[in-house]
Amino acid sequence: MAETKSEVFGNFSILGKAIPRVDARAKVTGEAKYAADYEFADMLWGQIKRSPYPHARILNIDTSKAERLPGVKAVTTGKDFGGFKWGWSGPTRDEEPLAVEKVRYLYEGVAAVAAVDEDTANEACDLIEVEYEPLPGVFDVLEAMKPGAPLVHENRPGNICVEYHWNFGDVDKAFAESYLVREDTFQTPRMAKGYLEPPAVVSYWPDSNHVVYIGAKGSPYFPYRLLSRCFNLPLSNVRIITPIIGSDFGGTKNDMTPADYSAVMLAKKTGRPVKIVTSQYDVLTTDLRRHPMWLTVKTGVTKDGILKATYLKAVADGGAYTRMSPLTMMLTGCLTTLPYKLPNYKYDCYNYFTNNPSSAAMRGHGLYHSRFAADVQLDMIAEELGLDPVEIRMKNAIENPEPGKVYTAVNDVHVATCGVQECIEKVAEAVNWKARKGKKKVEGSKAYGMGFAAATYNSGTKLSAHNACAAIIRVCEDGSVNYLTGATDVGQGSDTIMCAIAAEVLGIGLEDIDLKRVDTAFTPVDPGSYGSRVTVLAGQAARNAALDVKQQLLEVAAQQFGVKPEDVEIKNKQVFVKSNPTRNMSWERLVRTACYDTPGKVIIGRGYSTQGISLLGLADFSKGVGDIGTNYSFTAEANEVEVDTETGVVKCTDNSVIAHDCGFPLNTQAVESQVQGGAYHQGIAAAIYEEFKMDSGQTLNANLIDYKRPRAYEAPMTQVIHVLTNDPYGPFGAKEASEGSCCSAPPAIVNAIYNATGVWIKDLPTQPEKVFWALKAKKEEKKGRKKK
Amino acid sequence: MIADFEYFAPKTVKEALSLLSQYKEAKIIAGGQSLLVVLKQRLFSPEYLIDIKGISALDYINYEEGKGLRIGALTPHRTIEKSPVIQKYFPVLSEMENNIATIQTRNWGTIGGNICHGDPAGDPAPVFIALKAKLKLASLGGERVIDMQEFSKDYLEVALDPGEMLSEIQIPKPAPHTGTAHDKLMVMKGDMGIIGAAVSIVLDSKGKCEDARIVLSNAASVPLRAGKAEKKLIGKVLNDALLAEAGELASAEADPPADVHGSAEYRREMVKVFVRRAAAKALERARAA
Ligand SMILES: Cc1cc2nc3c(=O)[nH]c(=O)nc-3n(C[C@H](O)[C@H](O)[C@H](O)COP(=O)(O)OP(=O)(O)OC[C@H]3O[C@@H](n4cnc5c(N)ncnc54)[C@H](O)[C@@H]3O)c2cc1C
Repeated sequence: MAETKSEVFGNFSILGKAIPRVDARAKVTGEAKYAADYEFADMLWGQIKRSPYPHARILNIDTSKAERLPGVKAVTTGKDFGGFKWGWSGPTRDEEPLAVEKVRYLYEGVAAVAAVDEDTANEACDLIEVEYEPLPGVFDVLEAMKPGAPLVHENRPGNICVEYHWNFGDVDKAFAESYLVREDTFQTPRMAKGYLEPPAVVSYWPDSNHVVYIGAKGSPYFPYRLLSRCFNLPLSNVRIITPIIGSDFGGTKNDMTPADYSAVMLAKKTGRPVKIVTSQYDVLTTDLRRHPMWLTVKTGVTKDGILKATYLKAVADGGAYTRMSPLTMMLTGCLTTLPYKLPNYKYDCYNYFTNNPSSAAMRGHGLYHSRFAADVQLDMIAEELGLDPVEIRMKNAIENPEPGKVYTAVNDVHVATCGVQECIEKVAEAVNWKARKGKKKVEGSKAYGMGFAAATYNSGTKLSAHNACAAIIRVCEDGSVNYLTGATDVGQGSDTIMCAIAAEVLGIGLEDIDLKRVDTAFTPVDPGSYGSRVTVLAGQAARNAALDVKQQLLEVAAQQFGVKPEDVEIKNKQVFVKSNPTRNMSWERLVRTACYDTPGKVIIGRGYSTQGISLLGLADFSKGVGDIGTNYSFTAEANEVEVDTETGVVKCTDNSVIAHDCGFPLNTQAVESQVQGGAYHQGIAAAIYEEFKMDSGQTLNANLIDYKRPRAYEAPMTQVIHVLTNDPYGPFGAKEASEGSCCSAPPAIVNAIYNATGVWIKDLPTQPEKVFWALKAKKEEKKGRKKK
Repeated sequence: MIADFEYFAPKTVKEALSLLSQYKEAKIIAGGQSLLVVLKQRLFSPEYLIDIKGISALDYINYEEGKGLRIGALTPHRTIEKSPVIQKYFPVLSEMENNIATIQTRNWGTIGGNICHGDPAGDPAPVFIALKAKLKLASLGGERVIDMQEFSKDYLEVALDPGEMLSEIQIPKPAPHTGTAHDKLMVMKGDMGIIGAAVSIVLDSKGKCEDARIVLSNAASVPLRAGKAEKKLIGKVLNDALLAEAGELASAEADPPADVHGSAEYRREMVKVFVRRAAAKALERARAA
């Protein structure tokens, strides 16, 4: 097995090498406090009463018995929220904190209880009597799209949640001119996000006009805004405190749950802190899942395998509420024009409401679906044309633009740096691709094959409305530093990067910086942890805030030395005159001088990101043009699989390599572990193992035994190769790490299965039974041909 | 959430048995690895739980030439897996255990709990049946010994009378030239088998198959003996073709469930594969013995 080499990049004191995580000690010792760990005197336990029907009208809710149960302090229903509805954006506000008139998915919240303990709260939920009129439901897109199908939302005809129709260039002409045109349909399943920490919340009202909310949220400024609107409070009176988060991967921890609103409402009603911890079962039956999608890709190529045009049609099951579906469908379509040159492109997509739990963002959001379809189809095309998979990718891959130049895709996506060719070359070399060619390894019932894929992802995602990240740096008089961020580390390591950037700029040590996690009473506003945006945008804020502090201190130093500020530098906590380093003082001395010299300064620096906002303009969702990202990462991946040809069981071997162009790896260790754990591993999970199986809105495998989540045995360590492109639009050249590489594993695996066995598995995951029947059909086809 | 219950923790078999006779509605809990799952799902809510995990007298593995193997009901899976005696005389048991769940579950779950849970997908029962195991059941009234094969009644139902508990598993010393093997279809190591097969083959001095047992897991509502497949092998000099035929016959005898892990048709196909695989290994072992 190839191993990841530890390397040092650039000429920095802290960045460009393996940086230990600032939160590691607290997490390992158990000191780290997650939302569920918060306890307050007088605290009550909340519980959600859930609907036993996936689609039903609520006729009546009788809470009187529950209210009479000793120990119950308050009960709330949707009516208490006064008609408040919320959603991802203004026009898509279609969800209530607790359902009022209708439930639209199984176990949707209809009421909530606060009681002195968990048992009493559970018992009280059982005592709430809800009268329902069950309604016929729609449980897959084929049912949802049928004329006359039951409507999930009465005001949304045809159950259409989102549709976009984009057209760039002239695909029909390009298809007509193509040497080969292929059309294939692929399928991706609903998946769990996979956080082990179930969402938890504690809320209390210090007085009737202020609310405090402590919850497992990766984007705490979502509840900040939503609770302000819901409870009619100015933003200044909404205090969201962010504990340590036990991972997210998109979706539920960005967004709100019935438990979030209910805890706040119950706390308001009782005047006491209320805590609600969601069970793993509730997570697996009601939390947001990755969209199941059906993707039909039609692609035309020249005789040499040069891409002429792609027409992608995506159909998705959006579930009960809109949530982030408009963004999902945008992301599924808008970057099909990367990482290969594609002169003509058309995209039609339809996202339907169903009576399933809502679908939403998940790591590799959107691109995961379309890149899987397109990169498998590319191998099919290569096979038909007699081209090698690496060769066809190299031919079509976007070249790295010359410094100062920009590659513009047909839908106006702008790429300043693109390392995909280098990624492909390095991976091919690392796995010895050429030598493998044509060699098929079979040992008994085991067939081995290797597959290749490439991918991209947008970093520093920019949506409509607020996009900037900000930071405040306070220098304490002893030289220690507080870093106040609006950004949230959900496990990806961003707290470490923020501290590292600030320390690098200030010329001090990582240990000198103490990071304050989000507390909206004190920290600056931030959009949130989604769309691979934190390192790129909050990282720029960190840099700007540190530069602001540094300038203030350099001015003080310049006065002391009798030189100009630009003549002074700070490194390794030494402040010195550049031209004569013997004239120096310590960092502590400089800070003390600044703070104590009459009248004394208060050193506070601030900075915010500018790159996300105005550089190339915002993307237009309805037309599919423009930049959803600040910049774009690239990946190539090769995976070897072992297929048991008698059973259909597919396994990864430890022979796999991922080359990743994240611009510049600020923390090599974080990039590698993200690519291994958060991309390779999750990619393997999506390719081979994970799928929620459903029956009429009911999740059949809502436990971690029947829902197959691979462990380290199933997804051994992959080798990571860093490819550096130093993007001008990221802090210190950085782009996102590992959402792109999350998208390359599924096509690489499916291509590898084909390489091993000669069968294409077009719907994920490649569970044994599917592979088995495909192999059997192929065998029979062969026999049939021999007979003729 | 688990409903409330009253909890007892006897330290001796006798104490346990008198509690059992006193509280007819009581449920035994050993390692809780299976029971807690069904309690959390509220498949049932017993009023009394008798926790026998602390009865150390039922945690043992003994082997005597004449009597064969004796395993106490409260022996953890992991102890069986790692036992030198078992690895020497019954390697199939150690291999089977190694594929059960995770180390954590094997450390705490007991062999008796596994068998008494009566899950037709469980691995030990088919292997025990292939090894002609007997079970010792104890009650205040005394003890009885029954064939493992008679123990499983239906899905999650075993032949325990009220007031009775399993105390010991008894495995006779195998005849000379016996080979036993177990294999199952796992997506991930430690999975309950989507299909499992335990096969025991006894050869006579001329190398002919004198006796054969083929027992399947997750192929019916109880561990299933594939009688027709066994008959196919008995009295013959075995070869690959015969083993494959046995697989086909066993497949026809199976009545497997359909669930999220596979359809009934797929499972039937897999019976063919796993009977053949386990039989081939058993045969190899019988020849080497
Ligand atoms: C994640 C996971 C994976 C698993 N994978 C597998 C697998 O691959 N293969 C497999 O075979 N099993 C598997 N199991 C099941 C597990 O091996 C056993 O069922 C478990 O070890 C039961 O033992 P226990 O001591 O925990 O029993 P408990 O859960 O305490 O009891 C189980 C049942 O047996 C009864 N009982 C227990 N002891 C006695 C006794 N001495 N007399 C009478 N009744 C008794 C109890 O009343 C209860 O009904 C898995 C379990 C888990 C949690």
